[in-house]
Amino acid sequence: MQTFVTEPLDWPATAPELRNQVRTLVAEHGNADPVARANSWAKPDPEFSRKLGAAGLIGMIWPKEFGGHERSPLERYVVLEELLAAGAPVGAHWIADRQTGSLLLRYGSEEEKRRWVPGMARGEVYACIGLSEPNSGSDLASVRTSARRDGDDWIVSGQKVWTTNAHNAHVMIALVRSEAGSERNQGLSQFVIPMDAPGLTVNPIIDLAGGHDFNEVFLEDVRLPSTALLGTEGNGWKQVTAELSLERSGPERYLSSMALLVELIRFAGDKDSESLRALVARLAAETWTLRLMSASVASKIARGEDPALEATIVKDLGNSFEQAMPELVQAAVDIDPAGPEALGLVLGHLLQTSPSFSLRGGTREILKGIIARGLGLR
Amino acid sequence: MNDEQRMLADMAGDLFTNLGPDAAMKDHWSAIEEVALTGLLLPEDKGGFGGSWGDALIAFRLAGYHALGLPVVEAVVAAALTQRPEGRGTIASRTEGTVSGVTFTGRISGACLASGADYIVAPCPEGGSMVLSVADAKVEAHENLAGEARDGLVCTGTSVERIEADVFAFGALARVAQIAGALDAALEKAVNYANERQQFGRPLAKFQAVQQNLATFACEAAAANCAAMGAAQAMSRGEAPFEIAAAKLRANRAVGIGTALAHQVHGAIGFTEEYPLHPLTRRLWAWRSEFGNDSVWAEKLGQTIVARGAENFWADLTALTG
Repeated sequence: MQTFVTEPLDWPATAPELRNQVRTLVAEHGNADPVARANSWAKPDPEFSRKLGAAGLIGMIWPKEFGGHERSPLERYVVLEELLAAGAPVGAHWIADRQTGSLLLRYGSEEEKRRWVPGMARGEVYACIGLSEPNSGSDLASVRTSARRDGDDWIVSGQKVWTTNAHNAHVMIALVRSEAGSERNQGLSQFVIPMDAPGLTVNPIIDLAGGHDFNEVFLEDVRLPSTALLGTEGNGWKQVTAELSLERSGPERYLSSMALLVELIRFAGDKDSESLRALVARLAAETWTLRLMSASVASKIARGEDPALEATIVKDLGNSFEQAMPELVQAAVDIDPAGPEALGLVLGHLLQTSPSFSLRGGTREILKGIIARGLGLR
Repeated sequence: MNDEQRMLADMAGDLFTNLGPDAAMKDHWSAIEEVALTGLLLPEDKGGFGGSWGDALIAFRLAGYHALGLPVVEAVVAAALTQRPEGRGTIASRTEGTVSGVTFTGRISGACLASGADYIVAPCPEGGSMVLSVADAKVEAHENLAGEARDGLVCTGTSVERIEADVFAFGALARVAQIAGALDAALEKAVNYANERQQFGRPLAKFQAVQQNLATFACEAAAANCAAMGAAQAMSRGEAPFEIAAAKLRANRAVGIGTALAHQVHGAIGFTEEYPLHPLTRRLWAWRSEFGNDSVWAEKLGQTIVARGAENFWADLTALTG
């Protein structure tokens, strides 16, 4: 039995040049706040997104026809890991670049592609994903937001919740029930919904640390043209699970706490402490391993394979790692997690936000269930 | 895997399956010699396979997977370090004593079946490694937790040949590969057992708590395998001090979680002498100490990283791979 097929990694020849490009761009933009660095892909900064877009670093694998740059998936991977490791503020365009743009290009109508994708590639158009509902969390197949036909149009009604970035987004792709009376994962479809559509309202949900990533999105008889149906009517479940499984193992699944490791190394440099060095080594070893695992999945996806089990393993391990790190650092370092030292501030931030890491993108319990199925246990 | 590697995996897999944990030198070493496996990393003009570290990973992982009772892994490493095609070499993990010119006086320990070996590669107290003839030392038999021979050698003015390569690091790399294989084998046993064993009228595999444990186990086995691959690939590029340290640390961590869950899922039967889980788990516990436990590699790696400083950490990490 070998659940994770290992193989030597072949990084693109352009990687060093891309790394330099990203590092220079981040340094020029300025990234001094350590707490912001610990919040990289949840930190919106439209100015930075536009700079990245102008540098050709968003929509890297999309066709030039739609503003993309036709680079390879692994070149994109290099750029993503550089941005996250630096803690760059990529929150505004993150979802559009990672998921929505590619989904539109794969399934979208010509009108919708032309309307949204080029702006996304410029770093000017942002997206959110409408999945969870008040009564549909891990049990996503129970969504009740509905779409009904009205002539050529669709009328969408219902409510989405925990919608990250909805307050910055221009467009949402939502999973809704398009066949009245259908059950579970049947009769679901994805729709492209402009956030300024009449009948759509966004309310903030403030998290326990005072941050605003989440929202609730109300849809009251939102009228959409027929072109807003994404992909095939009734095929929404298949489309959405494929989307989730492929985006499960990116570098964001283990790099969320990288700012803390960097601050810990800085702190350990001033102390002659074997226990601090041991912790640095343990965390570095884990980072090194997870990077290889995540990149390995990325190269399999780039070849057109479907490493769903391996991707799930990466997310579960990665989340557990970035979640364990704050507690380990708190135990090893006598510092006030309320600040004012940089290490303390980052620690305090991650102590409070890291519980969400094993919730977003599929809870730990759901992931372990997927892995168990892969092992032939269910 | 390429075609040659698939052939190697098939050959080593069949051979190690037949030999298993109970293979004995006097009866079974000839089976290893027949296929010249110890020359895996030697160039073809020396009668070897001309294999890479990627090839070695395949063979070493399978040796771990089958809890092979013969010191094949160590013989392959010893031959590679000395470039000697003849005789059986082995490696040791620890040396205490002094080298004076070309002679060594002191004690070597953790030698993987020294008795009957022709030569041994051990860490040199002054750095690098030293090679000596086993016949020139007094062998004191000792075994690790799993019953594998880990002999001591008492040397008095024993002549040695110094080599630059660090046998301690190569030994660690080999153990990482074996750990990866043994974890996958223990996982497979646990999964099969969970599917067969019935309690409360259904297989253990149907209980979510058991499923979640095995999923956690699978993640750890995957991490150990990926760490082994990363270190082996790095070796093909030359020296790999960072990668070997990181890989041994990560694999050691997987041993703790993996063995605990393997035994938890198996219940009492897994704790018996009769049931073939312990040849894997006892080796895993032993290998966690061999060629550097966590504290040894953590101090090496931690010193390097902290000395390079926070601003270089990510740049250094990515520079390892491109």
